[in-house]
Amino acid sequence: MTIPAAALDFLTERAKTVGVASPVRDDDLFKSGVLDSFQLVDLIVLLEANGGIKIPDPDIDAENFHSIAAIEQYLSSRKD
Amino acid sequence: MEACVAGSGIYLPERIVSNEEIAEALGLDPDYIFKSAGIRRRRWASSTETTSSLAVAALGRALKDARLAPADVDYLLFGTMTPDRFIPGTAAAVQRKNGLRDIPCLDIRATCCNALYGLQIARALIATKVARNVAICLAEIQSPWLEMSPESGKISMLFGDGASALIVSAARGEASLEILDILLATDGNYMDDLGIRSPGTEFGRPGKAADSLPRMVGQSVILQASRKVVTACEAILQRNHIAVEEVRWVVPHEGNSNLLARVMRNLSVSAEKTTAISVMEDLGNTSSASMGIAIDKLRRAHETKSGDYVLLPAFGAGFTWGAGLCRVS
Repeated sequence: MTIPAAALDFLTERAKTVGVASPVRDDDLFKSGVLDSFQLVDLIVLLEANGGIKIPDPDIDAENFHSIAAIEQYLSSRKD
Repeated sequence: MEACVAGSGIYLPERIVSNEEIAEALGLDPDYIFKSAGIRRRRWASSTETTSSLAVAALGRALKDARLAPADVDYLLFGTMTPDRFIPGTAAAVQRKNGLRDIPCLDIRATCCNALYGLQIARALIATKVARNVAICLAEIQSPWLEMSPESGKISMLFGDGASALIVSAARGEASLEILDILLATDGNYMDDLGIRSPGTEFGRPGKAADSLPRMVGQSVILQASRKVVTACEAILQRNHIAVEEVRWVVPHEGNSNLLARVMRNLSVSAEKTTAISVMEDLGNTSSASMGIAIDKLRRAHETKSGDYVLLPAFGAGFTWGAGLCRVS
């Protein structure tokens, strides 16, 4: 499942803010500084609002959201 | 029967410790501490002060505020993570030092949610006519537990010392806060993400040195707190049929000002209609004491109006979290 456009736009804006290239599929969003814990909270709000899913609290783990590929994989698993 | 916060008082140690004073030892930039947590300074107790001595001073002020004598208190609750002694509870020390009668004295160990637990228990004691005036002491001396090294910098930068006390009474007073509801929850799966392991029966007495230091998985705390606190606030408002737009004041336990900002935004509160009472910048995270300090700040600002709704969110080690709902009398 693809990531909602609003969430991708958010990641692109964050990359601009921290002065790095827009993230591609396997880039580590935390190592690049695009995400920190607070920004991840904002991303999850966007994913829920625009992805039509409710992410349960136990799934709120950086491992599920550390790259675009990981986010896509997580979203796909939630659609099963 | 109604239960109201009819009095409040605080006591803060004299010593003010700025970010600049501790930044080098913690391997951090003073500005980083402010930007990442919203803290510019905190108070540290002296070596002659104890958690109960801070609480005694705060309780004396709260009783005066409520226009009550020590003999009027029927029940004492004490919330702390840093007790005077391992045994007995610190409430007993306050009972003796404040000259209270031979009343029930109970320590609460619900970490940063101690104020909410105290308010819930006090409300129940008054509703069941077990007590008419319940004193809640909330105090911490956390500074001696902090490791002043770069390895512990991001946790040691956060905490400060201080005390607050609340008087919950069946009778209303000026600017008292009627306790309408308290919602609390716990998920023990996160016990190891925030806390101190030792001393105790699981990790030994005294246990390994690292187990005696505060431990915090910051990412887990932020991610879970951001969600669970918002959910608790929404639930308590919904079950009391109050819209978020009707909340005039948010008086939190504040562990990080960036976290509070997220909670406010995700609750969709309007900055024009709702004011958050923050004490973080000057005091850091005073854990058990912080919500009581913020309640005292709200009451003494004299800006409340009768009928104002006050929302009290909190999150702490356990994890335990929740929200309280009050109305200004």
